[in-house]
Amino acid sequence: MNVEITDLTRRLGRTQAVAGVTMATGRGVFGLLGPNGAGKTSLLRMMATVIPPSSGHMRLLGRDPGDYGQRKQIRRRLGYLPQNLGYYPGFTVVEFVEYFALLKEMPAVGVHHAVAAAVERVGLGDKATAKLRTLSGGMLRRVGIAQAIVNEPELLLLDEPTAGLDPEQRVAFRALLRDLGQRATVIVSTHLVEDVGAACTQVGLMDRGKIVFQGTPDELTARAEGTDAAGDAPLERGYSAVLAEARS
Amino acid sequence: MTGGDEVTGDREDSVGRASRPRDVDLGRVWIGVAADVWRRRPGPLERLAGQVLRSPGLARALVTTPSLLLGWVIATVVVLGAGTLATLGTGAPYVALLAPAVAAAGIAYAYGPGIDPAWELSCSMAVSDRMVLLVRTLAVFGLNAALGLAASAASGAAMTVTFGWLVPMTAVCALALAAATVAQSANVGVAAGVAGWVITLMSGQAAAGRLTAAVTDSALMLPYLAFTACCAAIVLFATRTPRGTS
Repeated sequence: MNVEITDLTRRLGRTQAVAGVTMATGRGVFGLLGPNGAGKTSLLRMMATVIPPSSGHMRLLGRDPGDYGQRKQIRRRLGYLPQNLGYYPGFTVVEFVEYFALLKEMPAVGVHHAVAAAVERVGLGDKATAKLRTLSGGMLRRVGIAQAIVNEPELLLLDEPTAGLDPEQRVAFRALLRDLGQRATVIVSTHLVEDVGAACTQVGLMDRGKIVFQGTPDELTARAEGTDAAGDAPLERGYSAVLAEARS
Repeated sequence: MTGGDEVTGDREDSVGRASRPRDVDLGRVWIGVAADVWRRRPGPLERLAGQVLRSPGLARALVTTPSLLLGWVIATVVVLGAGTLATLGTGAPYVALLAPAVAAAGIAYAYGPGIDPAWELSCSMAVSDRMVLLVRTLAVFGLNAALGLAASAASGAAMTVTFGWLVPMTAVCALALAAATVAQSANVGVAAGVAGWVITLMSGQAAAGRLTAAVTDSALMLPYLAFTACCAAIVLFATRTPRGTS
């Protein structure tokens, strides 16, 4: 298991953002669904070692993120796309991706090749030397994905990766996700149910800081059977049914 | 966005399938060419920093310091230059009074959320954000100290207090850094640093009847150093490795 979490909590001021999450996942694409404010981003930030948990146990890639040396090892093997990607407007696409490749302490000899491969992989080859300030929102999102995958991460954490992507780009992104999930643990936080249905092998549904469902997309769909849950697609109805049950 | 093997499909077509040897992976070849064409050549400063710090990532983080960018450095030079002219004109050691406040602002704006656009991402990187903070802080302090010394030397009249302001400057910078780190806000850091320095100057005015007491009174040097140590301890605590999370 690349991610093992037990009773993880995170308090932000008076708000209990994550309230006792337990989950484990290995290779494949894990979709983290939930309404706004459910705690998805806080959970992802803890897994990205950006913020420490308030309590609970977490092991990532078989290592302890609370230990300085092991956390460094985790970070070398980690890819992270935050919900709000900050960027340097004067950097080019290649410069930005290379900057984070260096901060991930990739061996210097392979950095340029890895950067070129990541930029091509997200379809930004023709914009490689363009300044970030000239790119659209969807392109910036793809730059963020490129920096996340530049080190061929074993654990890839993506927070709302399809925000700003047009339908064609989203289809291509799902194909990329499936490809990445063959070799790594990919955790995708999203509120778009169709992304989960198309790309994820496992799904977790968060509500009010807790995971209220964990299983396959088919199992989530099945939860709507015999209910009058709202939704245009079967997976959406399953999502609504689980949320209604958790809140009842 | 493309899957791994489809990366260069269009380019392969344009090269021409007929003339392509069977065992050549054109996708891989293209990536190699692109890597070479797009390769960024680091400047001499970054290369030097990379060798000194023995980390290309840390060197890159250093040269992206917001308060070391050209515009900021020019602004610092202009402020200290104006201070030098004022000192030459009036004989009052304005450079010694200005330098700590200018340096404190540079320190507060060296690193942190809202200042460094990619701060959130940087916090998940193998090169520790504490090291980035330390390296940037030292670089900004060093540059400001050098500019302050140059301004003091140029303004002659302030030579008597040239080394008097370095210690207070260290204390004010440490205060700005501690406040910015704890509050996670550069603006809070600047406000704390400048306010602390103004209060110190006013206290000197009230106690000794002159603003310059803050940089000329040798009895204050030990308290300045003790205060610097306290602020450094606060910064170390605020950026410590969280424990008990596994």
